[in-house]
Amino acid sequence: MKFTETHEWIKIQNDNIAVVGVSNHAQEELGEIVYVELPQIGKNVQAGKESAVLESTKAAADVYAPVSGKIISINQELSSSPELVNASPEDKGWLYTIELSNLKELDKLMDKDAYLSSLK
Amino acid sequence: MGTTAIAMEQHQADPLKKTALYERHKALGAKFVEFNGWEMPIRYEGTVSEHNAVREHVGLFDVSHMGRVSIRGKDAEKFLDYLSTNKVQGMASVAALYTIWCHENGGSVDDLLVYREDDNTFFVIINAGNRAKSLAHLNHYAKDFDVTIEPHYDNESIIAIQGPLAKALMSQIFPESSLITNMHFAKIPYIDEKILLSATGYTGAGGFEIYAPSQYIESIWDLILEKGNSLNIKPVGLGARDTLRLEMGFVLYGHEINDSIAPTESIGAWCVKLDKGNFLGKQALIALESSTDKRKEYAIKLIDQGIMRENADVYKDGKKIGITTSGGFSPTLKKSIGIVLTKEKLHTGETVEVAIRGSSYKAEVVATPFIKVKSGAD
Repeated sequence: MKFTETHEWIKIQNDNIAVVGVSNHAQEELGEIVYVELPQIGKNVQAGKESAVLESTKAAADVYAPVSGKIISINQELSSSPELVNASPEDKGWLYTIELSNLKELDKLMDKDAYLSSLK
Repeated sequence: MGTTAIAMEQHQADPLKKTALYERHKALGAKFVEFNGWEMPIRYEGTVSEHNAVREHVGLFDVSHMGRVSIRGKDAEKFLDYLSTNKVQGMASVAALYTIWCHENGGSVDDLLVYREDDNTFFVIINAGNRAKSLAHLNHYAKDFDVTIEPHYDNESIIAIQGPLAKALMSQIFPESSLITNMHFAKIPYIDEKILLSATGYTGAGGFEIYAPSQYIESIWDLILEKGNSLNIKPVGLGARDTLRLEMGFVLYGHEINDSIAPTESIGAWCVKLDKGNFLGKQALIALESSTDKRKEYAIKLIDQGIMRENADVYKDGKKIGITTSGGFSPTLKKSIGIVLTKEKLHTGETVEVAIRGSSYKAEVVATPFIKVKSGAD
């Protein structure tokens, strides 16, 4: 699992398909997520650009794509249970899977230890 | 991930003010937010569970960022009636009244509670963001009246106990409170001082507000949490304070009213008594009544899934008609609700469209309050 400075995580599932979500720190900062706006399947997204929106009770937060690529699937459960992002941000609260267009982009991201120490 | 709203709230040049309960909030694990120059708890456990605690049981709020000001003197009633759009003249003693103050040009100075202690003694509760402005407003117009103005900003604290079980809890701690009817208050002895118990609030859930010298506020706070433990009391942050007031369709200064929104245009227009005697701003409000520039506020509920926020454009039949002054998530309805300010005449049941991040979302015009309340208040 790798992390961005903007609190997204990405985990390779197989070959060039990866699953994306937000970190535990991100959900703690946002508070209760009450609505999740996910990208359309098939949409191409750019690394560092808006790819989804998390709506908390207080504010809307953009989720930036950690890498460039095509959206393959989205977490359908979040439409009825957005609180999964709070309860299980790095597992059941995943947002979407993406087909990476450039695997090298992963090299720019932090591993978990580096990410956690960046929060201190 | 990026959130503009939170980033903006955290930016503040001056050091933030802290209430006398700041250490209590920290110990309770609060997350803090900047609110009008104050570092206030936005949530402890979570906004939704705190909101539900107030709707279902009881919650405890620190609202010491608001400020109390005493107005005394033989003209006190006349003076406050002149400043208020609601009718202060003839108010009963130990009663409280909600009003909006107007500028001469009709814009809103502040919204507040006016309390009458006796014939010549009143006090008012000023919003955090208006402490300086409203005190200056009082002092400016006091010149023509026989009154003295005394702020209690630096040595008093305010807490609110709200929810259907608030009255039962309060009567255990302060037996005198069971005699206080809605929108009334009592001054009672506490240690070597006096505190004010007021059967008021801004959640629609009923309950009390307590005005007390700051040196005693921690002990009162602790006592309420301790005695409320068996009732599942929760400390409640500003996040839920906002969702609770929005569900009721209550005005929030800086949103539904401000220096350029007249009280008669707002969702708080019910408190304006245009038929009372002369008051500051009356001529401007009367002129506005027959003006084509007059706007009004309506409650809207999002039909589509999504969350509308403040300052979203609102359309009807494809034409832009106004903007939202508040918007958010209603934990009770599990839908997004908001207030729209528009010149267009809207009717309950009509559909409008709200622009959220470039897409159009359907919303329905509804009556306020947005929810049916379960209140221990009356």
